Amino acid sequence: MKQAIPLLKASIDDFKRNKIRTFLTSLGIMIGVFSVVILIGLGLGLKNYIQNQFESLGANLILILPGGGFTGEGGSGIGGAALVGGVSFDEKDVNSLKRISEIDFVVPVFMKGVTIEAPREEKFGYVMGINEDGFKLMNVKAQFGKLFDNSDVQASAKVGVMGNTIAKDLFSSPADSVGKTVRLENQRFKILAVAEKKGDREADSAIFIPYKTTYGSLNPDKTFWSIYLGVKSDELVSTAKVEAEKVLLDRYDKDDFAVTEQSELLSTINQIFSIINSVLIAIGSISLIVGGVGIMNIMYATVTDRTREIGIRRAIGATRQDILFQFLAESTLLSLIGGVLGLVAAGIIIIIIRQFFPATLNLFAAIAALGISSAIGVFFGVFPARRAANLSPIEAIRYE
Amino acid sequence: MRAKKYMISLKNVIKEYKIGDTTLKALDSTTLEIKHGEFIGIIGSSGSGKSTLMHIIGLLDKPTSGEIIFEGRNIAKLTDDEISKIRNSVVGFVFQQFNLINNLTVAENIRLPLLYSKTKPDYDIANYANDLMRMFGIDKRANFYPNKISGGEQQRCAIARALVMKPKIILADEPTGNLDSKTGNEIIELIKKLNKDLNVTVVIVTHEKSVADKTRRRVYIKDGRVVDKYI
Repeated sequence: MKQAIPLLKASIDDFKRNKIRTFLTSLGIMIGVFSVVILIGLGLGLKNYIQNQFESLGANLILILPGGGFTGEGGSGIGGAALVGGVSFDEKDVNSLKRISEIDFVVPVFMKGVTIEAPREEKFGYVMGINEDGFKLMNVKAQFGKLFDNSDVQASAKVGVMGNTIAKDLFSSPADSVGKTVRLENQRFKILAVAEKKGDREADSAIFIPYKTTYGSLNPDKTFWSIYLGVKSDELVSTAKVEAEKVLLDRYDKDDFAVTEQSELLSTINQIFSIINSVLIAIGSISLIVGGVGIMNIMYATVTDRTREIGIRRAIGATRQDILFQFLAESTLLSLIGGVLGLVAAGIIIIIIRQFFPATLNLFAAIAALGISSAIGVFFGVFPARRAANLSPIEAIRYE
Repeated sequence: MRAKKYMISLKNVIKEYKIGDTTLKALDSTTLEIKHGEFIGIIGSSGSGKSTLMHIIGLLDKPTSGEIIFEGRNIAKLTDDEISKIRNSVVGFVFQQFNLINNLTVAENIRLPLLYSKTKPDYDIANYANDLMRMFGIDKRANFYPNKISGGEQQRCAIARALVMKPKIILADEPTGNLDSKTGNEIIELIKKLNKDLNVTVVIVTHEKSVADKTRRRVYIKDGRVVDKYI
């Protein structure tokens, strides 16, 4: 261990003498670590976001989605707008499902991207057609005003509950917007309430209206993209699922819809994202390997540059292992510098993109980045270091 | 029991170099014995094999054949690490080109052998390094880098480095070759004094008669062979 500090000093001195070379060599690893950390950050962030969305819906939940369900071809949280194939559900399904005894509530969900017009502003947002139980399902609470109720749904009332962000964007403050009117595709809606901020971009920029009110120009087919079932208790979930399937099989083919428990959905999400993350890490790793080759190249050049020094050190008693350690320390340090720079850069970028995208910087990615960059330094440094260690002392000392 | 009598003995040592298809014999059946405390000059013209001989004596290079007994140990039977240990603690080298490490200060260069010492010396190396610098008049240069001091100072620094581990033998390869005659003389006097005061065995390789004349025993070498006299 007594060698560690002088070896480190020798490496740092060498870096100081060749600042540009050191920077450019570290740059390869920096870019590698940067891309791996960013990609992991984006992948995990997205996964957590989607997972949280589903978890916030509460337990004892069954989702009915068209087609093969949530199979990884696409999809999003509430609404499942990107699901491929299958049927569109309608009011009749909702009523049949309501008859299942294990079920507490049924929420049909219609969702569409629209331009929401206020007297002075207009913004792109989402219209979400739900019933009064949808607020419970999505954990939406009124910050100002009062949420719509069953009578508004049944009466197809032209009322809406604004998400917090869009209310702020369209009116000077969320509180002011209660009682005002907005226009969606030429229909006027009175704002009954503004929801508390959820930190969920879709919900915060949505206007929730009674699903029956969507029938018309917004939803001429009177269909829904998904239906959510709240089951009375945890133990009843599997029975309710079987019952729901039975009900739907009366009208549709087996392949036209999917009845999924929330837990199944979460495990599917986990599976999909672990594949996506592996692919992202693999892509990022390519740049790490390229960076490692860069380090190896420079270390070979350094060994040649410092052949005479190696000879001098051998003459005064350095063993092959001492020389090996010296050059390994140098390549590891070089790689670690790149790793730290990459990590810092990725951290800054993640903090910035967090404003627009749910990216996360997790401790595991940070530790792994530093660990991997050190390992790359050792791996790609070992060949040049071995060359240095195996030089004949006398040939090295004579080297010009 | 040669071990007791001689510090180093070389028997029929041959060193060949292969350059392309031709084989060059740098040392040809060289036999030489060096006793403890001797002050020997190895004298020969350029290309005579004297530097090769010094490198083999100092265990920097291995012979093609022949036997080397170093303080009673047959070098052929030692591992590379054991040989490195001998170079670190028993041998001190002084080169014509000084061979200091340019990005280390004078003091750091002198203390460098300690870095590679596998056993802790029974004296304070840092203090001893300071004593050597004072003794050689380079204490004011302790924090200078080698390229900022004169040739004579660099060679004194190299000698201090060679001595810092209290070696039993100093091997000096043309130590005055890059110095003016006055400074060269000072360096030779210094080495002579070390031999006398510290009882360090000294082997100086030189082609200069004035340097050779200062040594107590002279070994002449020609065409890789030890000869009776320098002709």
